[in-house]
This record gives sequence, structure tokens and C-alpha cells, in this order.
Amino acid sequence: MTTAQKTDFLKYSHSIGLSTMEGRGFYYPVDTTFDGGGKVYTVSRSLDGDNRGLRVTIYDADSNYYTTFGQYGEGDGEFVWPTAIARDSAGNTYVACEYLNRIACFDSAGNPLPSWGAAGSSDGELDGPSGLAVDADDNIYVVDHHNNRVQKFTAGGQFLRSFGSQGDGDGQLNLPWGIAIDGAGDIYIADWRNDRVQKFSADGEFIAVFGEAGRGDGQFHRPASVSVDGDGNIYVADWGNERVQVLDSEGNFVQCIRGEATDSKWADAFLAINIEEAAARAGANLEPDIEFFNDDPHEESSHIEKFFWAPTSIKLDGEGRVFVTESNRHRVQIFARA
Amino acid sequence: MVVETTQAVEQIAHLMRRAGFGATRDELDALEAQGYDAVVAELINPSDTSAMPDDIIRRYHHEQSGMMGQINPGAYWLYKMISTKAPLVEKMALFWHSVFATGYPKITQGKVLSDQIRMFRRYGMSNFKTLLIELSRDPAMIVWLDNHDNHKGAINENYGRELLELFSMGVGNYSEEDIKEASRAFTGWTLGNTEYMALRGERDSIWPYGRIAWHFEYKPEDHDEGEKTFLGQTGNFNGEDIIDIICQQEATARFISRHLYDFFVAEEPPVPAWPYSQPRDEAAIQTLMDPYFDSGYEISAMLETLFTSDFFKNDEGIRFIRVKSPAELVASTLRLTGEFANRPRREILDRAMQMNYMGQTLNNPPSVEGWHQGMEWIDTGTLVERLNFATAQLGDVNKPGVRTMISRVASESDGVISSARLVDTCLDAMGVVAVSDDTREALETFAAKRGDLSVDADNVSDAAEEHIAQMFQMIGACHEFQRA
Repeated sequence: MTTAQKTDFLKYSHSIGLSTMEGRGFYYPVDTTFDGGGKVYTVSRSLDGDNRGLRVTIYDADSNYYTTFGQYGEGDGEFVWPTAIARDSAGNTYVACEYLNRIACFDSAGNPLPSWGAAGSSDGELDGPSGLAVDADDNIYVVDHHNNRVQKFTAGGQFLRSFGSQGDGDGQLNLPWGIAIDGAGDIYIADWRNDRVQKFSADGEFIAVFGEAGRGDGQFHRPASVSVDGDGNIYVADWGNERVQVLDSEGNFVQCIRGEATDSKWADAFLAINIEEAAARAGANLEPDIEFFNDDPHEESSHIEKFFWAPTSIKLDGEGRVFVTESNRHRVQIFARA
Repeated sequence: MVVETTQAVEQIAHLMRRAGFGATRDELDALEAQGYDAVVAELINPSDTSAMPDDIIRRYHHEQSGMMGQINPGAYWLYKMISTKAPLVEKMALFWHSVFATGYPKITQGKVLSDQIRMFRRYGMSNFKTLLIELSRDPAMIVWLDNHDNHKGAINENYGRELLELFSMGVGNYSEEDIKEASRAFTGWTLGNTEYMALRGERDSIWPYGRIAWHFEYKPEDHDEGEKTFLGQTGNFNGEDIIDIICQQEATARFISRHLYDFFVAEEPPVPAWPYSQPRDEAAIQTLMDPYFDSGYEISAMLETLFTSDFFKNDEGIRFIRVKSPAELVASTLRLTGEFANRPRREILDRAMQMNYMGQTLNNPPSVEGWHQGMEWIDTGTLVERLNFATAQLGDVNKPGVRTMISRVASESDGVISSARLVDTCLDAMGVVAVSDDTREALETFAAKRGDLSVDADNVSDAAEEHIAQMFQMIGACHEFQRA
């Protein structure tokens, strides 16, 4: 299945991000979506135990910052352990919370709407909602992580259908996380603990499986997120391998990226007024040669700042640019087709 | 009628309380079948070191290594303590954390402290010489004791002094000149990007993309290559040579033996008193020193001798005398309740905070001397926290481990359990807890107030569950449960 790597398929463009607990920046961001008009929405989960930092940050690909909405809490418009964000054609925003087992909803101005969802394993109930996608008819697909299934709801939260069950056979799932819908309405699931991506029809019929466990080309270790472009190319946030992989529509390996982050405009602005820290940073070797005690790329990413660290989400904007949200580095690395 | 327990299971329960974080009654059944010596062998050379996997933990707690903030590494460690199949590995990490105590306020980087604990997991039962070399290369220790300020021609003695005083030999076994010479040998042992990582890194907020992990760096240009005389030996010593000489000393064998005895057997006075006080059991210390030298400084050999010795295994006078540290109390309680057995939960943060309320913030000991243990864990405030925690957890009938214990108690019933028998069955179900006559009388008095318990083992009523769980709560508040 492995083919020669097309290293020029995606090229690094720039990074956006800054570790902040409020306003411009992110704090342990987990997912990103777009409004179709050039604005980008990234939801931050924050650090356990710190109730600040949770919010949706609105900005654009040119690093212009607009505002935030949403916050920590258990009321409408609030969330505790956010996992995913999506928008419908009316401009409403949905944020999945895997702690409260519900979907927080907002109108196009960021005002809270009634949340929906309840804990459980019956039809329409949720146990760890972890991925969100909106189809062409504004129905909401929710990856129901601990229930090992995908559920389909109306925009108002009325249950329509579900598919998937626990296991490692075709069409079965093991703690699934991210979800994408392609132009034909087919559904792609990051089957996280099965180390693979699966493709289903809109009705939930199994179509194909991509990848297997491992650290080689075309192999995955705990993939968190998946996206598909108009040509059927598949983009995977290979979370456990701390990298991004691109497959073609047949599942053939195209490219692997470890991360190339540079200082964002927001970081530059911060360092410009924190001169001593900027000087120390300038004098440091940020790509030191270190002998690691194991081959876990998680460890390497904790030392080498430019590498992806906890890439929890990979999303395509309307121009086909790839936005990789890295939870542990409080930033989004952006790539574009070469 | 008294629940029958064998001497063998009582010995194994004792072993698991001290060398681990206790064992459930079902686990004790399985361990008893293996036999005491086999259990010791498995603790020291575990065939299964699995615990809740890191990918599972990181899926829900995105970053617990401590890159930002101080609290999360304690929660991560708690997951490991309550889920590991190799509890002595975690227990030894706690042991070395109390001996080589390194704290947050000076480091202000949680991950490097977590990394030090990870190093203790890897080397805590290995060769003491290896462990001391790893400790000397540990970035947290380097900054904690200022070895990044220890330069050729301008030594900083802090690490050299504590290496001898608190980490290996103890006061009275070396001279001030030995400290200086040891310090010269450790010049050039520092961490990479010192200026950015340590000196400018006091605040989380200066890092555009969050903190960067620290790494050891040896700078030969800053190492003093001159001749040194240390503990009577002369040569162009580097740090490894100093550690080699330290490990040859009888004082080192004695120091480590006394620490192991203090932690695993019975309390010794605080370390500063050691030069002036005889060990509680001199013969035991000598018994532990022999395998240190015979094995070439293997910690595992000392532990095997300790756990199979008469003074540990057979002396009933040392059982339930050692006050559990907050980490031990929380971990042993959560292993019983099984709250986190099948998945991570956000509630781990609260459980980790309970250790703080009881006086022990992991990765943040009060000083380089570590925590004063034993009865010093207990004051009027921490005692209330300890009792509230244990009773809240053990009284929650929704927790899977509590349900298992209830079933075990109910299965002993032939329809009715007398109040006295309820005490015995609950003590047994909670991991073969042996209590004093005074404690038993208090428990029986409490049980008698509610009278006999009617229970259908196949269909335990809510009222019966609550009745049994109340007894678990009372036992959790006892002197014996709070100790190991």
C-alpha cells in the first residue's frame, strides 16, 4: 500500500497561536471549524482543574483576532471537557462536551441556545461525545466515544439514527474520536483505539478501512481526527504518532508531516514586549540533539517545540488549507497544497 | 463466629500494604495461592508492569505531565499508583521521592519533576550506583540543588553537599574538603538552554507555545579536569568516579538500609538525628547491608532480604503501626473502591487534591529533607481530612469495588448476619484488616446499635447495602485502616 512519499503535496504555511487563558490565543485547544466567510473557530479545553481558558476563539487565517464566546460551566453555552466544534449552514455553533454528555449550542452571534443530550447508552443518549460533523441537511453527527457508535441528530437534538458497535471488525469501533463527511455524504471515522480510519455510507454501511497499527508510513497510532478534500484525499491527525498523514482516496500513503511550526504573529507580538524572555529564547537551541530513553514521539515533541504535540484535530477550510490543532502547544499549524 | 484467615494470608496482606498499596480480598485469595516468596519475587521482578496506559490517560487529560500548572502530575501519579500491576515500582518511586526530595517552587516546571519520578520508576529497584548517576543527570535535581551554577573555578557546593549528607552517606562520614572535591567533579553537569529553561522560565506565561521539556547536558569545557582527592582516593575524577567511591562506603550501605527499614518496616527518627541515635533494630540494619555489598549495590537484593526477613514478615508487632502517608491512604482506598478501574474520570483531580489537603502535595515536598512521616502526618486538621476522605469513598455503594465488598460480605450470610459477625466479615472483605481489642469493641458497639442484618445474598436490598457500607465507613475511620 505504501508508495513513494510526495513530500510536496502539502507545504507548511504558518502557525497561529499563543498560550493564553483568555482573549487572543488558545489554552489546550482541541478542535477547529470555519464559518465559510473566512473566520476560524477554535475551542480550547484548558488544563484540568483550571476553569479559566475554556472558550471558543474567533480569528482568521491572517492571524486577525476577533472575539471569544463560551466558557466553563454546566449551564447553556458552557462546557467542561469540550472535545469538538462544528457549525451549521445557519451559522449556529455546536460544541461537544464529553463530561456533561451533551452538545452546547450557540447562535451566529455566539449567544447560548439550549443544550441537548443526556448521559446513557440508549438511543439518543451519549457517553463521551467526541466528534462532531454537520451534513448537507444540517443534521448533526456525534461520535459517541464510550458507546462505540455514531449517532445522527437533527440540529435541535432529536435522535435520528445510530451505527457502530464495540469491536475491531469491519464497521466496528473502539473508542472512536474524530469524524468527517465528504462531498458525497460518506462518513469517515478516526477509530482511535483500533489505530485506523473507517469509511461508512451516510446510512452507516461499512465501506472501507484505511491503515493499521504502527509507526510506519500509512500506519497509525491512535488517530484522533480525519478530514477529506474534494478529490477524496484523506488527512489524518495521527495523534499517538504526533504527526499528520495524507492518504489518497484509495488509502495509498501520500505524505507524512512531523510539524514545522514557526513563531506566530501573536507570539511575535508577545515577545516584542517581553524583551528579556525574547532574548533568552533567541539564544536557545530549540532543536537540541537529545538522546531519548524511548522512541515515543510524545517525549520528543515535549522537547522540540516545532513538532506537533497532541494534534487532536485536522480540518480543511474552504480554500483547501489544512489546519492542525495541537492541544499541548496551544496553536494551529496551517499547511496548503503545494 | 470469627472469619477464618490464615497466617499466610495475613502475612501477604501485610506485605501488600507495605510493598504496595494494599490488596483487595479477591487479590489476596489469588496471591495466597502463589505463596509468600513468589509474591515477593513478583513484586521485585514484576512480569507485568502494566498500568492504566498513557494514551488512555492523555486522551481525557490532555496534559498531565505538568508543562503548565502544578496540580496535574499528582493526578497522573495517582492513576499509576491505583492501576499498576507492579505496585512496588510505584512504592519505590514514592520512597526515592521522599529521600531525593525535589520540589516545585524552585523548579517551577512540573514536567521535569514528573520526569524525575519516571526515572525512579525505571531505576528505583536497580543498582544504587546507576540510580545516583541518573539522579546527578536529572535536570530537576540539577536546578533544585544549583548544579547549573557549579562551574570550573567557581564551584557551587549545594549538590555535592546534599549528595553526601542526604542522598548517600549521612553527616559525620566525610569532610568539608570532600564536599568541595565532589563538587569540582560535578562541574559541567547541567541542563541544556539553561538561560531560557530555568533562569527565564519562572512563569508559565512567558512561553508562547507552552513550556519546553528540559534535558541534561554535559559541558566538557566547564568541567574541572584537575586532580581531586575524595574520601582518601586521588585522581582526575568526574561525577561517575565520585559516585563509585560513595557506593563503596559502609556508611552508604548503612544509610540506605536505615532508610529502607524506616519506610518499609518501622519508623526511625528523622534523618538529622541518625548520627546521634541507634537504629531501632541494629541487627536488621546489618542484615540489609550484607546484600548491598554481596550484590554489588543492587537495591532489589536489599528489598528481597527485607521482605523475607523475620523482622518484616513475622513480627506482628510492626503491623498497622506505620501511619499511611496521604498518597498511600488515597491510593489504597481507591484501589479498594475501584472508581477508576475502567476509565479515567475528571474526579481524579479531586482525589489528588485530597492528598494535598492531608498534607502531601506530590512533587512538592516541603524541603530537600522531604516530608517528616509517621505521626507527623496527623494533626487535628489532617485527621479530619483523612477520615472524611476514607468514609466518603468507602460509603459510596455505587463504586464498583464497594459493591464487590458488599457482595462478599453478603455471601457470608445465611439470611442473617449478627452484628459481631458483620464486623469480622467487613474487616476481612476490606483486605484482611486486623484490629486491636479496643477497636473491635468500638466497632461491635456501633454494629450492635443497628442490630442483626437481614440480607439475601442473591438480592442485596438497598437498606442492606447501606448497612454494610456504614461498617466499611467505620472501619475506614479506624486507627488500623489509617495505618499500614
